[in-house]
Amino acid sequence: MDQNSATYEGQKMYDPKGWWDTYVFSQDHKVIALQYVCVALAIGLTGMFLSLLMRMQLGFPGLFESIDAGSYYQDVTMHGMIMVIYLLTALFLGGFGNYLIPLMLGCRDMAFPFVNMLSFWMYFLSVIILVASFFVESGPTGAGWTLYPPQSILEGTPGGDGAGIILMLASLAVFIIAFTMGGLNYITTVLQSRAKGMTLMRMPLIIWCIFLATFLGLLAFPALLVGAIMLIFDRVLETSFFMPEIFKGGEVLDYGGGSPVLFQHLFWFFGHPEVYIIALPAFGIISELISVHARKNIFGYNMMVWALIAIAGIAFIVWAHHMYVAGMNPYLGFFFATTTLIIAVPTAIKVYNWVLTLWNANIKMTVPMLYCLAFLVTFLNGGLTGLFLGNVAVDVPLSDTYFVVGHFHMVMAVSPVLALYGGLYHWYPSVTGRMLNDTLGKIHFWITFIGTYLIYFPMHYIGFLGVPRRYYSNEQYDFIPQSVADLNQFITVCALIVGAAQFILLYNFVVSLYKGAIAPKNPWGACTLEWQTLESPPGHGNWGEQLPVVYRWPYEYGLPGATSDFVPQNVPDEQIT
Amino acid sequence: MNNYPASEKAFLGLNHAQVFVYVLMTVISILFLFITNAYLFRMNFQDWSPVPIPSLLWFNTVCLALASVGMAWSKSGAKAADHQKTKVGLAIAGVFVIVFVSGQTWAWQELNASGYFLSSNPANTFFYLITALHAFHVIGGLVAWFIVTLRVFKGDATMLQPESVGLLGAYWHYMLLVWGVLFAMLITT
Repeated sequence: MDQNSATYEGQKMYDPKGWWDTYVFSQDHKVIALQYVCVALAIGLTGMFLSLLMRMQLGFPGLFESIDAGSYYQDVTMHGMIMVIYLLTALFLGGFGNYLIPLMLGCRDMAFPFVNMLSFWMYFLSVIILVASFFVESGPTGAGWTLYPPQSILEGTPGGDGAGIILMLASLAVFIIAFTMGGLNYITTVLQSRAKGMTLMRMPLIIWCIFLATFLGLLAFPALLVGAIMLIFDRVLETSFFMPEIFKGGEVLDYGGGSPVLFQHLFWFFGHPEVYIIALPAFGIISELISVHARKNIFGYNMMVWALIAIAGIAFIVWAHHMYVAGMNPYLGFFFATTTLIIAVPTAIKVYNWVLTLWNANIKMTVPMLYCLAFLVTFLNGGLTGLFLGNVAVDVPLSDTYFVVGHFHMVMAVSPVLALYGGLYHWYPSVTGRMLNDTLGKIHFWITFIGTYLIYFPMHYIGFLGVPRRYYSNEQYDFIPQSVADLNQFITVCALIVGAAQFILLYNFVVSLYKGAIAPKNPWGACTLEWQTLESPPGHGNWGEQLPVVYRWPYEYGLPGATSDFVPQNVPDEQIT
Repeated sequence: MNNYPASEKAFLGLNHAQVFVYVLMTVISILFLFITNAYLFRMNFQDWSPVPIPSLLWFNTVCLALASVGMAWSKSGAKAADHQKTKVGLAIAGVFVIVFVSGQTWAWQELNASGYFLSSNPANTFFYLITALHAFHVIGGLVAWFIVTLRVFKGDATMLQPESVGLLGAYWHYMLLVWGVLFAMLITT
């Protein structure tokens, strides 16, 4: 296709004029997706490095003199925030969302390409502001990723003397603006720009997931924005939205009368939907991969869609289960425990449907399928411990212990990352036109999969022993036995191995870009539209002169009488046989 | 399964820009919902001392309402293909919104001069924060107004359509509605 073609079927297209327009300030959704992926992976590697520093301190206390209590808390804070917001949210929605929405829906680009470009650059700016906090005097904030006042804005907190907390809050505000720009684009594109024949109930499940996760983000991020603005006021202008009366060194500070619990409500009204903002795209990736690599139509498509909608709705009425120990009316705790358990129902429906998709399927043990299977068991394990913590009576003794760390890492760190890796292996040929090395992929998978279990399973046990999650050092406490120190050493060694193994993926990515086997146009035999483009990888405008027309749902595998075991969405009935 | 006939209609008959702006208005509503929630939560604490609402705010409210009338006038002009009416409506809307924003800053100065400083009481802080957040969104609408007006005066046919002027008008009516709710809350609590 002519790169400079400006109009197709009467639709005016963004027309890149030169190198800067094509690769840097591009408005093409595919380039923007790659920009998101590269920046998110870069900041994600930083987050992983910070976690390894934390593990070194926990496994081998005092080995590195540079890791003192203050820097440890700064590492914890930045690790959490980077991984949740700047890596996973950005990569799933900015990366996968941007790449897949227009391609899977059969349109040429996002509804507003310029706003889409602005969204990426605002995201990039938010990352720069965040990273800048490493370089200011006294470093980034060490208040914990939840940024609870009063300690998050007081000077005694690690990093609290400088601009760390201001930069963190400013970065979040910019990120939210970036997300809103991108999110409005995704919603408009999904509702407005679908190809002829692509009804809502013919959309691939991953598009449903991204669509709903975007809605969750658009409705949840304003809570964080309001909280962040008010927290900046409290810090800079010494207002008292959240700040109670505080004595410091015997002196009364200027604050008084505010409510720290108000911030907790605002934070978690965002924070819990955020879990699903990450989880839903992971669900979507698994739904696509499991169907393609098991050569079978997804079980219960309609049920899957309604389960997603239910999860997205209930996600807004469970937030206070993060606050059981904040001092809550028992009836309120009962309400939130009930909603928390109820959300397990649609989630379980999805897991059953994935398992039933695999039932009697022609399962191909490709690398993406390995990640799917790993996701299923890991999400199940993480979800089950969530049922423990959702109950008030069980949560209170386990709150703020390593059991919680083990739980949320299994359910919203390892599980989404497994889905993410599966997705990267699956769609890499579409992006680059080359296949990733299968052997390296399997080595990377097994080290990551087994390694993460060796890291996080023991944490549940440590948590049951009552070891608090945020302690810098566990040496001085009688109630913490020696076995915890031994386990911490073991976990740290495993974490170092798993951390190093991620470079296998990076190596595979870079080397395969130049030396990987040339990918066929539709290497996995998928029905969805992103594999049906004229060119592979798809060119600017995606579809050449004619937009595709959709005739069927996206999971037409094993259709009786068909010549192939799959029928792409854009193939009419008369061409099946 | 799922091979039923395809729908070719756009969502609810809306165009891209309409979906974008309506969803944006939903997001902004959520933002104001949280801030009013926080306000109503915080006002129950003992240190709360209500702010005397400057009477200037009534005048500002009338200006914002007149700006909305200007936008409605402009849309009716666009519908009747009366370009002059469209332009006059846009000009009226712009002038009154600029007066509104200026009036709000004047009200802040008045309060500040009377000793109701931003950080001296949470009620003051909320007053400044809520009015500033609203003014910030009105200024956003003003930027859109500037772009649309510039193109209308240049004779851009797309911008002279009732959908374009009407969408801008919808945002301004919405800002008036939000202000109405916030103002009612401020004067009654």
